[in-house]
Amino acid sequence: MTAARLARELRAGELSPREAVQTYLDRIERIDGELNAYITVRAEQALAEADALEAVAERGPLWGVPVAVKDVIDVAGTRTTAASKILSENVATRDATAVERLRRAGAVVLGKLNTHEFAFGAMTTSQHFGPAHNPWSLDRICGGSSGGSGAAAAAGLAAGTLGTDTAGSIRIPAAFCGVTGLRPSSGLVPNDGVVPVSWTFDAVGPIARSVEDCALLFDAIAGTRSVVEGGVEGLRVGVVEALLDLADPRVADAVRAGVATLVALGASAEPIEVPMLAEAGTIKQLVMLPEATNAHLEWLRTRLADYGADVRARLLAGLFLPATAYVTGQRARRGYCEGVDRLFERFDVLAAPAMPIVAPRIGENEVEVGGERVAFRLAVIPFNSPWSLAGLPVLSVPCGFVDGLPVGLALVGARHADETVLRAGHAFQRATDWHDRRPPDPV
Amino acid sequence: MQSSPEPPAFEHLRAQAASLGVDPTDADLEAVLGFLATILPALVEIERGLPLETAPADPYAPAGETA
Repeated sequence: MTAARLARELRAGELSPREAVQTYLDRIERIDGELNAYITVRAEQALAEADALEAVAERGPLWGVPVAVKDVIDVAGTRTTAASKILSENVATRDATAVERLRRAGAVVLGKLNTHEFAFGAMTTSQHFGPAHNPWSLDRICGGSSGGSGAAAAAGLAAGTLGTDTAGSIRIPAAFCGVTGLRPSSGLVPNDGVVPVSWTFDAVGPIARSVEDCALLFDAIAGTRSVVEGGVEGLRVGVVEALLDLADPRVADAVRAGVATLVALGASAEPIEVPMLAEAGTIKQLVMLPEATNAHLEWLRTRLADYGADVRARLLAGLFLPATAYVTGQRARRGYCEGVDRLFERFDVLAAPAMPIVAPRIGENEVEVGGERVAFRLAVIPFNSPWSLAGLPVLSVPCGFVDGLPVGLALVGARHADETVLRAGHAFQRATDWHDRRPPDPV
Repeated sequence: MQSSPEPPAFEHLRAQAASLGVDPTDADLEAVLGFLATILPALVEIERGLPLETAPADPYAPAGETA
């Protein structure tokens, strides 16, 4: 059931918050052993919080709706591990602002969701808490770093979830798990109470079953009131052909069909070239790596051996970049942002593959893109970094399947035009049923 | 002066890490060299293409925004 529908049923008194929470807890108990979407389940607390909602006079838009958040986002009294050994016993003393706002809207937090260690990777294969398994094929990754959020949303282990996105960490699992994810414009949702990766790029956002659900969650945490109805008549879509050319041709075909759907609904589409697209990934790394290393510097000194090998290597790399690299990155980012801003004088939305491939198998560190074997990490950078580098809102919506695995269409908006991408995505989902398809239960 | 596209020598990395109080293993440094071998040449290319008048973007959020 979607979060929006569940919220309506709760408000109508067709079920109680306790019944809604218990239904999800039973489902988590039954199937999460196969998926490993959760790191911590707050069963008793969630039931008590659901009971307490009965006495609340003012019922918000998420009243009684069971949600879950990525385990880098603080929930008071519950551990925030970041799927790391270093923070494995770290109990938060207060809610992150995003969680505080979810609660104010009436949501109940079921628990904390698996992530790539310290949200610094795109696989969600923590050495300390184990990999999250893709509900569409258990031997495949969910993507990351918000992989537990993607798995939980796809498998119905929460009515909605929050993830975080520094370099694709909402969009990647949304695409791989066949659900909808929004990376909001940078700066819209407060990051306090969230374990940082990179202050310039970190963004908290929703992963859920539909655009309507994402809008509900997004409005709660951003303080906005998005209108997703209205259609796409007259919407100007710029199609990023360079990324379609890089993607698996079958993925590209699904994305082109998605764009054709928008055109059939009244949008116009034409190819565009994004200035400095090829350099965007490097520019992003020049800023992100030193910031991540800075955030971890004390633990690099005292707990180096407690990091997983992949995260340790990336954090150390930031240590050895020349000091000028960060400044070069920030200067190039300015030039890049100015070029992207000009694109939105001609277009309302950019369309591209959210990912160039479908989910690879767990342990498969190299993938085939454009006929070449490349490191998974390097394969995904060109599809995600260009948008977060400029702080743009990006929505990933399911738009097809390849080999039985989901494909995501990325809709990119101008900075602070989050409502525009939500409206385009909602129109798309009114005309298609990709987002309604569900994986079979693993047990 | 531009950055060098060549990764630093192993011993140089170890000394630099030690000066910052970090003690990586040889395997760690091998992995780091792999990263640097990719990113340093790309950094040099970006430095070459940047006009001197381009000032840095605001460091912690895109221009005009508050985090």
